Amino acid sequence: MIACRLRLEADEEVSRTIADFVGALSQMAELTPRQAYRLRLAVDEIATNVALHGYCDARRGVVDLEGGMDDEWVWVRIEDDAPAFDPRTHDPGPLLAAPPARRQAGGLGLYLAMRNVDAFTYDRVGGRNRNTLYIVRKSPDNGHG
Amino acid sequence: MSFNAKMHVADGAATLRLVGELDRRSAPRLNELIIEAASRQVKRLVLLMDELKYMSSAGLRCLVFAHQKMPRGVQIVLIGTRPEVAETIKLTGFDRSITMEDSVEAP
Repeated sequence: MIACRLRLEADEEVSRTIADFVGALSQMAELTPRQAYRLRLAVDEIATNVALHGYCDARRGVVDLEGGMDDEWVWVRIEDDAPAFDPRTHDPGPLLAAPPARRQAGGLGLYLAMRNVDAFTYDRVGGRNRNTLYIVRKSPDNGHG
Repeated sequence: MSFNAKMHVADGAATLRLVGELDRRSAPRLNELIIEAASRQVKRLVLLMDELKYMSSAGLRCLVFAHQKMPRGVQIVLIGTRPEVAETIKLTGFDRSITMEDSVEAP
């Protein structure tokens, strides 16, 4: 189990911290480079969404990251104090249906997060948002399978 | 994590080489170059992607920005995109509006 607390502020090195955190976890879990990339992207998108929308960009806030694994799964748990928001309620359908050239900027980060993990759960626990992102360790494209 | 982008304009094409990681922090730098490219009256915007190791949704917003800023009819071409980055582009349907090539075509 590894854990990390990020304090989100405008223009800080959150993405770098996430890359290092997920990179270390992926190495411990012996994920393939592709799996590690997918997990990093998903965590980056969820945390960025919290910073931009949950904490309304200018407000400061805390995001806690916790990583763990068992024989089958590796996961990252992301918790924040922003207003309740379940990313699974985000519907990217209208955005994806629009021609790319006419799309509004933004709105695809949560879709990328959902599509790049093997499982996702959301819970509201103790007044906090808890998003947990899972990758299957024993998938066909890594050495475990 | 670092990002670097340089632009070269010749033969009606603005060619941008992207190096490093494109995310929320680095995207404004690419947008600056897109604005500059849009002012140069080119027919093609070419992004050399083989050294771009990571791209978040902020990079997708750059593609939307390029569509909006470049004059109508300008072709947007991505060359040498790495598999993980290409997966993000295809997953979100941007391959419908841009041309993706494996390597630089012979003249």
